[in-house]
Amino acid sequence: MGSEARRRSREKLREQREKEKRSAQRRKTLLVVGAAVVVVLLVVGIGYAILTADRRSGEYEGALAPTTLQQDGSVVMAREGVEAPVVEVYVDYQCPACRQFELLNSGVLKENAAQGEAIVHYRPVSIFAQQPVPVSSNSLRAGAAARAAADHDRFVQYTDILFQNQPTERTVGFTVDELKEWFAETDPTEGQQEEFNQRVDEEAAVVTRFTEEYLPALTEDAMAQVGQETLGTMVLTDLIAWGDEHGHDSSFLEGTYTGQIIEATGNAYTRYSGDNAFRGTPSVYINGELLDNNTAMTSQGLDEAIHSAEPGEVDTQPMGDGGGAE
Amino acid sequence: MDTPDRTPAPRSRWEALQPWLTLACRVGLAAVLIFAAVSKFPPALSIQAVEAYDLFPTDIARFIGYTLPLFELALAVLLLAGLATRYVGAVSALLMIAFIAGIVSAMARGLSIDCGCFGGGGQVDPEETTYGLSIARDILFAALGGFVAIWPRSPLALDRALGLFR
Repeated sequence: MGSEARRRSREKLREQREKEKRSAQRRKTLLVVGAAVVVVLLVVGIGYAILTADRRSGEYEGALAPTTLQQDGSVVMAREGVEAPVVEVYVDYQCPACRQFELLNSGVLKENAAQGEAIVHYRPVSIFAQQPVPVSSNSLRAGAAARAAADHDRFVQYTDILFQNQPTERTVGFTVDELKEWFAETDPTEGQQEEFNQRVDEEAAVVTRFTEEYLPALTEDAMAQVGQETLGTMVLTDLIAWGDEHGHDSSFLEGTYTGQIIEATGNAYTRYSGDNAFRGTPSVYINGELLDNNTAMTSQGLDEAIHSAEPGEVDTQPMGDGGGAE
Repeated sequence: MDTPDRTPAPRSRWEALQPWLTLACRVGLAAVLIFAAVSKFPPALSIQAVEAYDLFPTDIARFIGYTLPLFELALAVLLLAGLATRYVGAVSALLMIAFIAGIVSAMARGLSIDCGCFGGGGQVDPEETTYGLSIARDILFAALGGFVAIWPRSPLALDRALGLFR
């Protein structure tokens, strides 16, 4: 065996060792990466199971508690004569977070109302009424249509349908034809459908006039006369009142559901104060106290808040003519 | 250093400093990810933030709304533990780049949304968008992840105990 051969065998041995070391290193890396993947799967998997457990087993499918239309156009859903906490729900039909609230918690509301655990007070608003078209017009048309559905005691079902079909924010949606079709899905009589259709047509015309003629002109004037800064602090109802004194006649809104939801929105801003002030949608109050997002936007949070609250009083009066009531 | 086959050359300042910089990046990025994950709670709002990008069908947006914060949390745990440091750093950087892509696409389509990076999200007034700031922030976070991926060697890491990136 020459020195050449020895050198070669040494070389080979070294290479062998190197190789083993490399493959050991590779195994180690794989093992560590595998462990990391397991950690990710565990955290995400367990977390997902916990978070989705909050969504109760689907929607509430049982019978609804009776609903009563109120004078201001809001709707109370409660078992007759029940003493329970009052859950006020403010939503804008065009607001995406409201849609999430509805998808998540409408079952909790219905179930608690049906069991006499809650008096649910739906108070639709249109915080988007001053946004550019189509956000504003979508919001107002839907709000007015829901109010029209309430005339036929179909507010809750109709609200569900509206949220299921909420348009994305920059597209025209809640069209007159759609609104009518969706009402047909609630099994109305022919007379009810006709009445509803007529109302929706009228409201749509009001909404168009409001969003495309009246409000742009009013806003422009107000901008020039009171300045952007002051304008920014005025809620829509204040602006309309200002307009009435400055040559922008708002009487075309009188008696319309579009006008009613605009007024309801203005009233929401002044109804509460301090920490409870109404700032946007969705807003949920129990006995006049604003719930935080972690409570209102989780099923468990909302359910627990309802069960730990005292009975309360609804602050509106039922519609005198019994419209919409059973 | 106990690796016998490395020539014990005088350690440069960079060699002495780098592990600590990596540790700082790990901790910093983990803190960002934890804050991002926690502020996205509750999921109903996080879903809405994803939907505002208008990129995914409803069911997928819902899935992302639930799992993205959890994924961020998992990455943060791994960064703090120092497990598979290099790869977690790389994945974090990629995640940030995906976020940037999402924001750029929202911008390009003329949406006016909040990025929902740290909770919030959804539509905002056009003059209230902060795309530039969000992108700059994400670039910074991606850089932290990139640093960790390129120089994974750092103290207080499980990897080290397991014999990786010594």
